[in-house]
Amino acid sequence: MNAAALLLEIKGLRAGYGEVDVLHGIDLEIRDGEFVCIIGANTAGKSTILRAISRLVPRASGTLRFAGADLSTRASHEVPALGIAHVPEGRHVFPDMSVEDNLMLGAFTARSASDLPERMQRIFELFPRLRERRSQLAGTLSGGEQQMVAVGRALMLNPKLLLLDEPSHGLAPKVVEEMHDAFVKIHSGGTSILLVEQNVGLALDVATRGYVLETGRITLQGSSAELSQNPAVRAAYLGI
Amino acid sequence: MKKWFALAAVIAVAAVVPLLLNPTGYWIRVLTFTLLFAAMAQAWNLIGGLANQTSLGHAAFFGIGAYTSTILLLKFGISPWLGMFAAGALGGLAALVIAIPTLRLQGHYFALATLAFGEVMRVIANVWTPLTGGPGGLSVPFTPPSFAAYSFKQLLPHAYIALAALIIVTAIFEFIRRGAMGYRLRAIRENQAAAEVIGIDTTKVKLQTAVISGALMAMLGTLYAQVAVFFDPDTVFSAAAISIRVALIAILGGVGTAAGPILGALFIIPVEELMNDLFSAGAAGLSQLIFGAILIAVILWRPRGFITLWDSLRARFARGEARR
Repeated sequence: MNAAALLLEIKGLRAGYGEVDVLHGIDLEIRDGEFVCIIGANTAGKSTILRAISRLVPRASGTLRFAGADLSTRASHEVPALGIAHVPEGRHVFPDMSVEDNLMLGAFTARSASDLPERMQRIFELFPRLRERRSQLAGTLSGGEQQMVAVGRALMLNPKLLLLDEPSHGLAPKVVEEMHDAFVKIHSGGTSILLVEQNVGLALDVATRGYVLETGRITLQGSSAELSQNPAVRAAYLGI
Repeated sequence: MKKWFALAAVIAVAAVVPLLLNPTGYWIRVLTFTLLFAAMAQAWNLIGGLANQTSLGHAAFFGIGAYTSTILLLKFGISPWLGMFAAGALGGLAALVIAIPTLRLQGHYFALATLAFGEVMRVIANVWTPLTGGPGGLSVPFTPPSFAAYSFKQLLPHAYIALAALIIVTAIFEFIRRGAMGYRLRAIRENQAAAEVIGIDTTKVKLQTAVISGALMAMLGTLYAQVAVFFDPDTVFSAAAISIRVALIAILGGVGTAAGPILGALFIIPVEELMNDLFSAGAAGLSQLIFGAILIAVILWRPRGFITLWDSLRARFARGEARR
């Protein structure tokens, strides 16, 4: 694993909204091809890390490097073109557009449009239900299907790194499982993933490595196996 | 193809109508203002419809346009045709200045901030007497009638200029709506957070739209000054008569659609005139009261604008076809 190149490098990241710091110096790394999760309670700052990577947090300091590029000098709309696709929390689809149009908009910053139909086919293979509903308005889909659209839209970018913010939030258990199966497939296809998840058991199931975040600081890190054996993690998050 | 024929037919009819009216009469004046207000509502429709930012301060740009060309004509003898472009530049600049702080606001907050901006402009125009003539207003100086001087004996040429303006602003609206910028705006309108994460520079797109909208509105202010010949700060910077009216026209017609402002203006301006005509002899304010009641009724009947009337007619027609 250590042989793989460093994809994302975060050092001493402090970030917040207004006067308040949410993150108090985060160090985090993702190597090419890794599937990493961030776990922790609500308000620990998990989403803020993703939003800082996507440059959506108004104020951030520290080192943020992605594939050799300095992210901290980029504006949020420039981030997707670097190869980072963000699936924000809360199923943000374009409700009055068809599933297909939603997916096409995901490739908004793609330089060449020649292989877009091919990319869409791959997404339909991953989520067959979206193929059935390709011309339906995204706003009329079920919650799980909308989340599939949001993930599919991010994949249209052919990202090097996929940021997933609470993708299972508010979904039926069966759909959550489908979702996580899809993430494993996406990862085995070569896409690196950073997953933020409050369902700790599931997160440690699919990810290979994890960070535990508590009130803006990383308190623990290790392989998923190590973390799921850790007594503190078991007590605090797995309820065992 | 069929669509283009229909469009050509509508424009042809619109081009003939002014000829049928008494060239020195009252109705040609109503028609000219209807066309002008349709064009203004269409300019508003860019920011109000495509970007979904309900501005209640468009009188600011309108008034800037009226004053810019008229002051240039009064002080330097510059033809209003050129003054119109100076007006557009200044209106666009004003839109940029106001948009930078206010476009972060959404919904009611944006509407209130722009409303305040329009009022500030009105107050400034009232007190900056050396430049604007203050509350006394400005008269557009008489120049020998010629097209180059934008001066005519009759209203007929003004009606055609207003028609041309409406066609041009509508074409710009459609061009933007159907182009890449229209797609960006649609994404922003439907879900700003999602638009950001797919790589749309939401601030830039909204600023561009605001500037185009403000510039067009200012240019239409010049056209208004040339028709009206006299105006004062309380007319051209009026919140009720300009800002709210253009928003109302677009909303009543169908916000975000090209036909909406045209339908809205064709209804609101003549009906308002008619009410004034019929009821102004009665109790003071009665005509406005009746006009207000009509507006409320229309909004209750077609909350998403007259444009939906067309959709339901078409649906009914399609059902009839199927039955046969």
